Amino acid sequence: MNRREEAVRIQRTLAVAATVALLAVAGACGSEDSDDKASGGGPDKADLVVWINGTDTPQEARDWLKKTFEEQNPGSTLTIEQQEWEGLVERFTTALTSEDQAPDVVEVGNTQAPTFTTVGAFSDLTDDLDDLGGDDLLQGFVDGATIDGKTYAVPYYAGSTYVFYRKDLFKKAGITEVPTTMDEFVEAAGKLKAESGEKDFSGYWLPGKDWRDAAALLWNADGDFAVPDGDEWKGNLSSDESVAGLTAFQDLYESASGAAADANEADPVTPFCAGKIGMMSRPGWVYGMLTDKKSGCPDLAKQVGVFALPGDDGEPAPVLLGGSDIAIPAKSPNQDLARKALALMLSDDYQSILAKAGLTPAKESLASALGDDEFAQASIEAASNAKLTPAAANWATVEGKMILEDLFSQIAQGGDVEELAAEADETLTAELN
Amino acid sequence: MPPPAVRRRSLLPLGLVLPASLALGLALGYPLVRQVVLSLQEFGLAQQFGQPPTWIGLGNYRELLGGDDLWPVVRRTVVFCFANAALTFGIGVGLALLMARMSRVVRVATQVGLLLAWAMPVVAAMTVFQFLFDRDYGVVNAALTGLGLDYDGHNWLIEPWSFFMVATIVVVWMSVPFVAFTVHASLTQVPEDVVEAAEIDGAGAWQRFVHVVLPSIRPVLVVVAMLQVIWDLRVFTQIYSLQRAGGTTDETHLLGTYIHALGIKGGDFGMASAAAMFMLALTVVLTAPYIVMMIKQEREH
Repeated sequence: MNRREEAVRIQRTLAVAATVALLAVAGACGSEDSDDKASGGGPDKADLVVWINGTDTPQEARDWLKKTFEEQNPGSTLTIEQQEWEGLVERFTTALTSEDQAPDVVEVGNTQAPTFTTVGAFSDLTDDLDDLGGDDLLQGFVDGATIDGKTYAVPYYAGSTYVFYRKDLFKKAGITEVPTTMDEFVEAAGKLKAESGEKDFSGYWLPGKDWRDAAALLWNADGDFAVPDGDEWKGNLSSDESVAGLTAFQDLYESASGAAADANEADPVTPFCAGKIGMMSRPGWVYGMLTDKKSGCPDLAKQVGVFALPGDDGEPAPVLLGGSDIAIPAKSPNQDLARKALALMLSDDYQSILAKAGLTPAKESLASALGDDEFAQASIEAASNAKLTPAAANWATVEGKMILEDLFSQIAQGGDVEELAAEADETLTAELN
Repeated sequence: MPPPAVRRRSLLPLGLVLPASLALGLALGYPLVRQVVLSLQEFGLAQQFGQPPTWIGLGNYRELLGGDDLWPVVRRTVVFCFANAALTFGIGVGLALLMARMSRVVRVATQVGLLLAWAMPVVAAMTVFQFLFDRDYGVVNAALTGLGLDYDGHNWLIEPWSFFMVATIVVVWMSVPFVAFTVHASLTQVPEDVVEAAEIDGAGAWQRFVHVVLPSIRPVLVVVAMLQVIWDLRVFTQIYSLQRAGGTTDETHLLGTYIHALGIKGGDFGMASAAAMFMLALTVVLTAPYIVMMIKQEREH
């Protein structure tokens, strides 16, 4: 940063401080809830609302964030409101457009972020990037949230799913070694299912609507959802490679999965704890749910081993690079405070708590905080060959409209793969352009 | 009758009516005007976040009515609406007639039961029904299997027809109480001396019902039937939650969820508004006969 910028920055800070001081005086004369729009950065005291999705973020991290933020910003409070992953796109569409409803910091799925960054739903964070970690931040995530040189969201955590398996069931089925190729994996899944002899048992748990995990089979066959076509996007599910991948999904579902063809992957704990799962692809933090005394089944969880899903070539299969970004809604009236909260969520302390819970931290320098047990290894291996969904601006509406959920569910129900894929391509092409 | 008062121009009635009409006009008019405007614009997520929209005339309507997405949804919606309205109406009226003949204790018990079903929040009811029809752990499958039928692991939501059967059970279960209560209330208003007179004149039970009771509760029946059609046309929450529980979203859309998917999920508010306008027109067309009937009744009295 050169001197001029420094000077401007100081001036701006002073101006903000002066405005804030004035506002504080004005506020003292009566108005309790001063949301004066004159101060661009928002008031210096406010009740912040942070949206965190699902149960991924461990309670320890939530407590730390609330406590630290409130200590550092006396007079302000921070409330975490947990949102469901399902239906998140809908809630963003409605809540982020209104100043009254917009939360101050939001977590957004990394594949959903581009849709909202392109329409101006989030505040520009380009100037804050250096302070937040700069080059240390996971670059793929930063790139995904950058348009025309401006960055609107920063990584929160990454994580690809890897395979959880029951060691005792492997032994019972006579599988002595962890599968090292896709073929071996499919065979093991079938064996486990056959050994159980139960209709609702899953050798490999693959609910029909779980396209995020099924994507590994599509990509393993060199297929893809959509490909760039000039300036536009074109559905690519009916290409030969994609059809082969989708057929592999259908075969695997039929031979090994006991999950419903129209179910999603939201609740693996119930079937796992009922002893109905031999293998399943889940993110690392699910292990914490399995070992939980109240909602999980610690005894069964002791039998769990993990490995990264292998591809045809014996290397880790191309699984979906999952993860989250965090962003500040442009309509939040508390921009400055929101930036402070966001900075805390990217601090080494906070990110280390996430890492301990099995989430790949947003900063590369903290990767070692994952530890070096088999979970950490599987996690790093799985991420080594992970892929993103097509980088089309409208991708989130594909997710919002459940287009892929419908497609994979119908394939799992035994539908004609080529026909369904051709239909889905039409829908994808229409939706992405 | 008092003698007609000399007509004096007074602003009082106008002043009394004005605030209410203004509030009503704003509350109903603004969304409607906005909907019409939106339906004539290309209005997507970018516009939602502040970009200026473009006017495209009837473009949304052309795309909507010319495409092949809408019509299957309309067919489904109309069939679902009338099937549900008819079932609800039939069961509700039947219950009302039954209630008129129950002993006090039984009637109060029935009414409490109906009231509970009526008072149950939709989302809570949906959760319970999802549990009941769950593929792996549901009571329905367990009971049917217990009876020796092959319903182990039966998936109720995966086929559209059985998806709608479950939806029908929930919708009817939740709307029967309203019909039963309203019709029962109107039955208590049927003048007893008239019924007695008919009996003395030798009318049988069925004749008394058709020629005496029915005409006097007809206005209520018409209103109830019309409301039922309107409600069942707009059904949303039940379908939406069942779609989240299972089934194929695209094959189970009714107009309400279809519009929601276009707009809120898909970010195309222009098209969604056009579809909503279509739904409004459909509602008017479907309820027109009832409205005509109601107006006629008003005249007769």
